[in-house]
Amino acid sequence: MAESRPAKPDYYAIAWRMPLIVWQGLFFVGPLLFMLAMSFFLVKNYRMEAAFQFSNWSRMLSKGFFWDAYAYTLWLAVLATFITSIAAFPASYFLAFKASERLRRWAIFFLVIPFFTSYLVRVFAWQVILAQQGVVNAAISYLGLGPWQMLNTQFGTMVGYLVLCLPLAVILQTFSLANIDKRLVEAAHNLGCGRLRAVFTVVAPLAKTGLVVAAVFCFILSFGDFVSPYYLGGSKPPTLSIMIVDTSKSGQQWPRAAVVAIMMIATLLAVAFTAIGFAYRKRGK
Amino acid sequence: MAEPLVVFDNVVKRFGAFEAVKRMNFEIREGEFLAFMGPSGCGKTTTLRMLAGLEQPTEGDIRLAGKSLVNVKPHERGTPMVWQSLALFPFLNARENVEFGLKMRGLDKPTRARKALDWLERLGIGEFAERDVNSLSGGQRQRVALARALVTEPKILLLDEPLSALDAHLVIRMQGVLTKLQRELGITFVYVTHSQSEAFAMADRVVIMSRGEIAQIGPARDIYRTPASRFVAEFVGRNNIFAGTVNAAGNVDTAAGAFTLGGKAKPGENVSFVVAADVVSISTAKPAAQNVFAAQLISEEFVGSMVTLFFEAPGGAEVKVQVQERLLEGIPREPGQQLFLSFDPSHAHILKG
Repeated sequence: MAESRPAKPDYYAIAWRMPLIVWQGLFFVGPLLFMLAMSFFLVKNYRMEAAFQFSNWSRMLSKGFFWDAYAYTLWLAVLATFITSIAAFPASYFLAFKASERLRRWAIFFLVIPFFTSYLVRVFAWQVILAQQGVVNAAISYLGLGPWQMLNTQFGTMVGYLVLCLPLAVILQTFSLANIDKRLVEAAHNLGCGRLRAVFTVVAPLAKTGLVVAAVFCFILSFGDFVSPYYLGGSKPPTLSIMIVDTSKSGQQWPRAAVVAIMMIATLLAVAFTAIGFAYRKRGK
Repeated sequence: MAEPLVVFDNVVKRFGAFEAVKRMNFEIREGEFLAFMGPSGCGKTTTLRMLAGLEQPTEGDIRLAGKSLVNVKPHERGTPMVWQSLALFPFLNARENVEFGLKMRGLDKPTRARKALDWLERLGIGEFAERDVNSLSGGQRQRVALARALVTEPKILLLDEPLSALDAHLVIRMQGVLTKLQRELGITFVYVTHSQSEAFAMADRVVIMSRGEIAQIGPARDIYRTPASRFVAEFVGRNNIFAGTVNAAGNVDTAAGAFTLGGKAKPGENVSFVVAADVVSISTAKPAAQNVFAAQLISEEFVGSMVTLFFEAPGGAEVKVQVQERLLEGIPREPGQQLFLSFDPSHAHILKG
C-alpha cells in the first residue's frame, strides 16, 4: 500500500481557483516583483533606465533622514496600536458581556457605518474640526481657552489613525470577547478571582487571538497610511508613505521610492507574521 | 445547638416573570453529602448557583456558617464548584489550573506548586501535571477539576452535574472517588444531578425538586420507600402507583382489584398508594396471600443480576416487578404469560396529594 497512484489533476478545482491566482499574480505578485527589480534601476536625466545597481539601496539606507522617518513611522504606528487597543477594550468588553443582544447588534451596525464613507472624506471632516478656527477651538474659546494647535501636529495624525482603526478594532475585539465561554469567567470568580483581575487573568488570555488580530490590523493600517500624516499631521516630520511620494516626485526617483516601499513591506510582513504566530501559539509548544 | 452549615431562609429567585425558585427553606448540615435531583428546569442548578453567588436571590437570605451571604461577592465566598462543563482554563496546564485558586489567595509559587501536585497525586493524575488540559481524557479532566476546587481546602464543595459528560463505567468509578473523598475530608458536598442512580448511590440526603419547590427531602431510602407525593413516586420510578376508593370493608377498589392496606385507609376516601417494584411477589399458582391479582407479562428488562418484569394488570395499568434473576427459576417468562402478583399490605405506602 506504500505506493500511491499519481494524483490526477482535479481540473474542476483548479478552474475555480484560477481567477484568484490570476488576479493575485497580475496585480500583486507581478507589481511587487517589478518594484523589487526597479529598486536596482538607475535614473539619468530624469529618465529611469533598467540596470542592476545597489546604489539606491546603499544611498537610502545610509541616510539619516530615512531612518528618522522609519523610526517616526514605527513609533506612530505602535502608539496608534496601543491607544486603539486600550481605548477599544472597555467598549468591546461592555458590548460582549454587559450589553443586550439587541444593543450589541445596533452597536455593530453603527460601527460599520463609518466605512460607508471614504476615509479621505472623514479626514477632511476632521480638518474642519481640528483647525485653528475649527469646531473644537471655537467651542473652547467660549471657556476662555485656546486656540490649541491641533492640526499639523502628531496629535492630529493620531486622531486620524484612531478614526481609521477604532471602529474596526472594537468590532474585532467584540467578536472575540463574545465567543468566550462565560462559564470560565464564572469559574474564575468562583475560585476567588475578583472582577477586574479576571479580565487580565482569564478574559484576555481567552480572547488573545482576536485581541492580537485587532492590534495587527491597527498596526498595518496606520503604518502604511498616507492620508492622516499628510492632511492632519502636516507631513512634518514625514512618515515613510509621505517619503515615497516626495521621493518619486522629486527628480523622478522611482527606484529610491521602491527601496522605501520594500522596507515598509518587509516590516509589515515581519510584524504580521510574528504577531499572528504569537496569537495562535498553543501553550507548551 | 449551632446553626447548620448552610441555611436557605425563604429564598425566592425570579428571572423576569419566571419564578425559578419558590420560597425555599432548607438546611445543609456540616459534613453531609446532599444531592439535589429533579427534572431539568426544576431550579436545582439555580439553587446551587445562588449558593455560589453566581445568582442573587430575589428574596430571602442564604447563610453560610451563620453569616448572611447576600452581600458577599462570589469570589469572596469560598464555595468552589465543579462544573458540568468542567470549565478548566484552556490556556493553563493541569497543575496551573489547580493552582489558580491558590494564586488568587496570594500564596507563593513553591507552596502553590506543592499543594497542587499533592492534590493531583492524591487523585491519581500526578504524572499529567504539566500536560495541556485539552490533551487529557474526560476522566482525567474531571479529576483536575476536582483538584482545582478542593486545593483551597473549602468547607463546602458544590458539584453541578459533574459526571454527566462521562462514560457509564467512568461514572461508577468517579462516584467511588467522590464518596471516598467526601468521607476522608469530612467536608460538605452539595451535588446537583438529574441522575437518580448518582444521587441515591452517593448522597446522605436527597432533595427532590419540582418546579422551583422542594418535593421531598430525606435519605434516599425514605424517598424510594415512602415518597411524599405522586410526583416523587413517579419521578423516582421503579414503583407501582394504584388509585381507588376505600370501600365499606376498608379495602381499596382499584382497576387492578380490591386491595387491603391493613387499616391504613378510612372508608369513603379516595387514595393513591405506591408499592415498590421490588416488594411484589410473583408465582405461577394463585398463592394464599393478601392482595393477589393476575397480570399478563409484557416484557422484561435484564440488567445483570436484577431483572425488571413489566406486567399489564386488569384495567390496563402497568405493574413493574423487580427481582433477582436467579429467583425466577421455574417461572415461565414468555410474553403473554399469565402470572399471579401479590404484595404485603405493610409495603403499601399511601401518597398524600
